[in-house]
Amino acid sequence: MTRVLAFDTATEHIAIAVADITPDAIRVEAQRDFSAPRAALSALLPGVRDLLADSGIAPASLDAIAVGRGPGSFTGVRIGVASAKGLAQGLGVPLVGFGTLDAVAWRQQGHEGLVAVVGDAMRGEVYPALFRLTADACERLEADRVVRPTEAAEMWAARIAEPVLLAGDGLAKHADVFTDALGDRASVAPEACWTPDGRSVAFAVAHAAGPPDVRGVTRRSRAEAYTYAHPALLLPIYTRLSDAEEAEKVRRARSEAP
Amino acid sequence: MSVRLRPMTPADLPAVLAIERASFSAPWSERLFAEELERTAIDRAWIVAERDGAIIGYGGLMVLGPEAHVMNLAVVESARGSGVARELALELMAIAVARGARRLTLEVRERNAAARRLYESLGFTQAGTRPGYYADTGEDALIMWTGELTPAHVSAMRAADAGTDLVLAIETSCDETAAAVMRGGRELLSSVVATQVDFHARFGGVVPEIASRKHTEAIVGVAEEALARAGVSLGDLDALAVTRGPGLIGALVVGVAYAKGLALATGLPLVGVNHLEGHIFANRLADPELEAPLLALLVSGGHTAIVHVPEWGRYEVLGQTLDDAAGEAFDKVAKVLGLGYPGGPAIARLAGEGDPAAVDFPRAMMRSGDYDFSLSGLKTAVITYVDRERRAGRDVRLPDVAASFQAAVVDVQIAKTVRAALERGVEWVCLAGGVAANAALREGLRAELAEHGIRLSVPPFDLCTDNAAMIAAAAHFRLRRGGFLGLEAEATASLPLD
Repeated sequence: MTRVLAFDTATEHIAIAVADITPDAIRVEAQRDFSAPRAALSALLPGVRDLLADSGIAPASLDAIAVGRGPGSFTGVRIGVASAKGLAQGLGVPLVGFGTLDAVAWRQQGHEGLVAVVGDAMRGEVYPALFRLTADACERLEADRVVRPTEAAEMWAARIAEPVLLAGDGLAKHADVFTDALGDRASVAPEACWTPDGRSVAFAVAHAAGPPDVRGVTRRSRAEAYTYAHPALLLPIYTRLSDAEEAEKVRRARSEAP
Repeated sequence: MSVRLRPMTPADLPAVLAIERASFSAPWSERLFAEELERTAIDRAWIVAERDGAIIGYGGLMVLGPEAHVMNLAVVESARGSGVARELALELMAIAVARGARRLTLEVRERNAAARRLYESLGFTQAGTRPGYYADTGEDALIMWTGELTPAHVSAMRAADAGTDLVLAIETSCDETAAAVMRGGRELLSSVVATQVDFHARFGGVVPEIASRKHTEAIVGVAEEALARAGVSLGDLDALAVTRGPGLIGALVVGVAYAKGLALATGLPLVGVNHLEGHIFANRLADPELEAPLLALLVSGGHTAIVHVPEWGRYEVLGQTLDDAAGEAFDKVAKVLGLGYPGGPAIARLAGEGDPAAVDFPRAMMRSGDYDFSLSGLKTAVITYVDRERRAGRDVRLPDVAASFQAAVVDVQIAKTVRAALERGVEWVCLAGGVAANAALREGLRAELAEHGIRLSVPPFDLCTDNAAMIAAAAHFRLRRGGFLGLEAEATASLPLD
């Protein structure tokens, strides 16, 4: 059994959970989620502190920390990741990651079938990812990437031949693009389920495939697990370079063009 | 003879009352004290300070769940100003947090400047007033509160008073990921800097998004290395410190989030440091003789300011740049001249072969009468000059342009710094920030100041550029003053120096 503190700050909605995870069961001990637009730095750790205190969970009793690696808001993701690194190093426990979009897919638990998650990538782009949800699994069918909404919608329209549930904070701006392209195959999840909550974060952690992952942590002694999932190693998922590097890539491509 | 603190007993009351009556216009009665002492097993704490067997001060506290109220505190007149009141107050704070209180409050007379200074120096801040609270004079009472405190916070403040505080400091305000371990604000046990300069060089300046990413990658390793080189573990520390501004917001955020995570995990108190005061403290690390009051000329890629430091930990910004920072101007002109990044060393090298009087670039605000700077016009003047010469088909002698540009920057900085130093009557001037590495500025300023008998302190180069040793040095004073950050703390891109 591994007691994990997990959270996600990649969207404007912060989700926190403490869960006991074993190879065949996930027991959510405590969870909390709340809206915090552009306030992850001031709201995340007080939220963690209060959740632990209200649930009578001592920080020292945690076996591992888990954090949503995105993709999402670059700064939001970094606040989650940097906080998690400090927590894990301070407690001397391993740090594992999970995909933010996976947590959004897990949020649709109860639905069975395809889930198409559309994360808001700002600047008119989205992070699309397709999942197949069953009663006890959430299979990821696509890798993380960043594209224009029309491109993602057209690709899904060509690929998907069955009902699909749309979710994700990218729908706030771009829902029409996807419902138009997918027609009556698409249904849209309630807006309250477009971001992770504590429970979905716990499920995303338990099912995330590493290495490192929580199964690998559970199999190891505490000292070995720390080396295996050292807090220095975990990195955010951005899918995009910095603007300066993107611009440089464009310049290079132009200068190399015949 | 040292001061001893112990619980107050009824036998102490005559001595206590004598001090009480001599100290306050509306003193407490003997009966009130006696009633208070009867409640010490319940919710009160009363202590006395003794020297040579004589009572020289006392203080009392009421603890109500998570809050504690400092009810009374006085020191005999002959012992005032010797730190006895601070010792009493810290002991009351320690008792309060040991009994489960998390915040302390008190009322102080508006005109009692010494008491207000004492409580401010212990982290109390004014939260409100009670108008006309004191019946004898009609004075207002100022209501003061501390932030959230734990026993670890109070013992860290006491360690800082004793000069034994062991601090891990984190700095991520620009493009260096840095951590340092320091004892007592002076004894540097380790300082690790992971520079990102190579990642930014090809863009001709710091790219904020790249800086934020690199900090996230490096931060744990840098802090681990600082602890390992110091031979200490997190459990040995008294406090954590972090730069909370000014700087690139996305970069600052990484350090602040990480430090708060460490603080929550370890229970260690966290102090927030202003990056600019850090640069001034680099001088204190390098130069043990240096004493406030002093004047600091702060020149880096992000900042250009003249700061008066009446005592360590207190600042008065006399003037600053209205547009570009000095280092920024060097970078931009270096880019125009095709000299690469960072621009400071490249221009200084080239200037060494040129004639500083070759081109008469403008000395902006030289005679503005204040201590502000403006550098963006100078950059434009260099661009205009180079363009004009090239269009006219003339050869541009880059060493002359570099030397003339550098002289224009340095002349204004030296003139204003010397004038401010004379006006404030300081004996020391500190040169702080990465541009302190510029020899023309350093030597020019040293020579000018020497003519007036003012000494110049310049830290070695590795302390001039961004590092966490200087943050740890400043943190020592923040810690003494109870300047703690809560888990709610934010990073602030344009944090003023206060």
